[in-house]
Amino acid sequence: MSELAIRRGAAPALAVQGLSYAYPRAGRRALEDVSVEVAPGEFVLLAGRSASGKSTLLKAACGLVPHFHGGEVEGEVRVAELDAIATGPGELAAAVGYLAQDPETQVVSTTVAAEIELPLEMRGDAPADRARAVEEVALALAIPHLLDRAADTLSGGELQRVALAAALVTRPRLILLDEPTSQLDPVAGDELIWLLRRLNEEWGVAVLLAEHRLERCLAVADRVVAMDAGRIAFDGAPADFLAWSHDSDPALTTPAARLFSLAGIDPLPVGVRAARQTLRGMGVAHPPNRASRRVSDPHPYVAEPVLRAKNLWVELDRGEEIHDVLKGIDLAVRPGERIALMGRNGAGKSTLLRTAAGLHEPVAGKIAVDSVALLTQNPGDYLVRERVGDELPGEQGAAALRVVGLEHALDADPRDLSGGERQRLALAIALAGRMEGEQLPSVVALDEPTRGMDRARKDDLVALIERLAGNVDFVSHSESKSTRAAVIVATHDVEFASEFAERVVLLGDGVVVADGPMAEILSGGWYFATEVARVLDLPGVVTPEQGAAALTGEESR
Amino acid sequence: MKSPLAYVPRRGPLQAASPGAAVAYLGAIVVVAFLYLNPLVLLAATAAATLAGVLAGARTAVRAGWRMGLWLALTFAVINALIVHRGETVLARLGHWPVLGQVDVTGQAILAGVSYGLRALVTTIAFAVYSSCVDPDRVLRALRPLARRSALTATLVSRLVPVAGADAARLRDAARLRGPGAAAVGRAPLARRLLAGSLDRAVDVAATLELRGYSLDAPRARNRRRRSRYDRRFYAAATLVLTAAIAGLIADADAFKTYPAIQIGVAPATLTLCALILISGLAPLRRRGSNRRPSSADGTKTAYIGTKSARRRRAGGGREVARV
Repeated sequence: MSELAIRRGAAPALAVQGLSYAYPRAGRRALEDVSVEVAPGEFVLLAGRSASGKSTLLKAACGLVPHFHGGEVEGEVRVAELDAIATGPGELAAAVGYLAQDPETQVVSTTVAAEIELPLEMRGDAPADRARAVEEVALALAIPHLLDRAADTLSGGELQRVALAAALVTRPRLILLDEPTSQLDPVAGDELIWLLRRLNEEWGVAVLLAEHRLERCLAVADRVVAMDAGRIAFDGAPADFLAWSHDSDPALTTPAARLFSLAGIDPLPVGVRAARQTLRGMGVAHPPNRASRRVSDPHPYVAEPVLRAKNLWVELDRGEEIHDVLKGIDLAVRPGERIALMGRNGAGKSTLLRTAAGLHEPVAGKIAVDSVALLTQNPGDYLVRERVGDELPGEQGAAALRVVGLEHALDADPRDLSGGERQRLALAIALAGRMEGEQLPSVVALDEPTRGMDRARKDDLVALIERLAGNVDFVSHSESKSTRAAVIVATHDVEFASEFAERVVLLGDGVVVADGPMAEILSGGWYFATEVARVLDLPGVVTPEQGAAALTGEESR
Repeated sequence: MKSPLAYVPRRGPLQAASPGAAVAYLGAIVVVAFLYLNPLVLLAATAAATLAGVLAGARTAVRAGWRMGLWLALTFAVINALIVHRGETVLARLGHWPVLGQVDVTGQAILAGVSYGLRALVTTIAFAVYSSCVDPDRVLRALRPLARRSALTATLVSRLVPVAGADAARLRDAARLRGPGAAAVGRAPLARRLLAGSLDRAVDVAATLELRGYSLDAPRARNRRRRSRYDRRFYAAATLVLTAAIAGLIADADAFKTYPAIQIGVAPATLTLCALILISGLAPLRRRGSNRRPSSADGTKTAYIGTKSARRRRAGGGREVARV
């Protein structure tokens, strides 16, 4: 087929036919008889729970499976008329770009410009062509100011964009993305999704995007492919996907769809705009006056604070300069509070938690806290032994395991535990010995615990947070004030925050820009607002349940 | 914390030149240091290497090079003073030492040691400037057509070192955050965990290199580029220094005797050579007003014109670019 014919879209950007694949020494196949096509210029969303085969399908489409990972493969994968199983990822690089979850291992050069230029250099393009391509892709992704920067000075969001630029610089017909927003704040995540849509519309790049937070990208997708246990479970339009997920796998549905489902409204909306249009059609008007957004605190805490920060300043050495990360934080946290600590990448969330845990020293102000158990962003860092019981010996270890519900896994190898169990084990390691009997430390802090988590695992985590914060004695499972810990979770996940938090502290560039009841903070903004809040724009209404109650109340009026 | 010797992208002729030109220039200064023992020439080479680093913006690296070099120079001076007993100016008689025998410290032995130390000082400063100013990616890519596997290994290592450093810092933090009731983590389990993690990281980085087309045959012919004016400048400086050094050897510019009495040659040939070496240190001088981007791996001809656009660029705003 001629180059021109391919460019006109005669061949699919990706054609997978009867693909089955098993990783080396794997007990079961990761992909089972998968057939799917992506047309040129199409934006396809790949949905599914954790370990459903999404990442493996993306790796097969770019040639890493089987060329890099090995294993047994059957079936056919064609990318822009190239046989991806016969051709290696290097040869496929001109036709397909791939962006994985962790941007840190996707940047291999010292500077940004060199990183973006690398695929062109490997291909043998002339220097002038390379310079132009780098310039253009940098402009397209709004990163020309980063070109001269050293890669090791970039933030996670910046690294993600640079990796995307390196994947796009060869002008591939297809771009594959594996949860690219999992480490990004809501603002950067939305920017990335709309950037992909723009590239898709203006450059005609076909996009295959695997993502857990479907509410973020369902509205921009042309089609949704859902996977379950290595098979294609659904393939169709976004609206049809919502109807399917509502019946077959509610964990995959979006908050707006749940809102409509609970309120008995059809059709289920694929995004905020569609939801608002449907509601307008029903005569549901949005409140014209946004002045009063105050929501009374449903759980006022009066106990003495267990964590108190006063005019807290922390500076960090970022290689080339000393940088003020926290700039005069004032904060009081009381026992039993469930707090979502939110803000953009680099706002200071992790630094605040790390300072509370004693990993950083304030340069001014002070922070007073009884005891803190902090789980950092990578739970795997806590696991260094090959048996759970060796990580947590003795009665103190057993008590910590009981807190997280892992007392049955004493003899297991941590590597054999599921992702959620490993996270709970890491938390138990942080808790061990900081409890008096069954009493928890005064503060339990979790830093970005939902990265790469599907909805079902997030629900488990919400249940665990509720147990830690409140209210349940881990031995007798009865109400007990003595076991209450304040739980602070740094998170970018607005929907998750609405599930567990009572209070939201919003940081912006090292200062507290908002601090109040969750329903007030998450219903009063553009980016730090739940999908339901953006649909209804009602003060204090953030969850599908609250929204449905409000809608049915309005209808009844 | 970043190493003071780590490469930092900057705008400057030394950074914009090809790795070959930069190595030739800095290498020429080092060669002079190994051809000569005359302290005047060695001081001129030290000054030239320092000047080159400062003009290239690598002050931190130059300071680090000085620190390392001074320690080495001091070590050489002390060792030479202890093991060489020649020279007529005895500064101290330290009696009989095991192995060394009678130890008489002479001024001549100290100066000879300092002279050897100056060689080490020139070398460490030049290496520090090289390390801070020459992009390792460009070196590796230049090597790739010659030794692909070695270049791949070096690329993996150069990327994995900072990643492993970050991983090690995270693991140390996690070890500090373990509750007192959890099993303590010694260095060995941490090292094992770091090694296992590094292997995973290496696989990820190797996968990225695969996706970038690293396994493709390096197309050497199309990659070849013309020498930039900075390349020509540094090659010319290297040629000048080496030619002058060889001519100086013929003209006895290295006149230096330490024993029994110190005689340092200050003939016109020596002074001319010193002046030329010093002037070569000005090679990285950037012309005022020009603001050329150095980081393009092949010195592509994209330039940022004028200081106003450069300021805007530093501020992260729009840019004016021109092809020249």
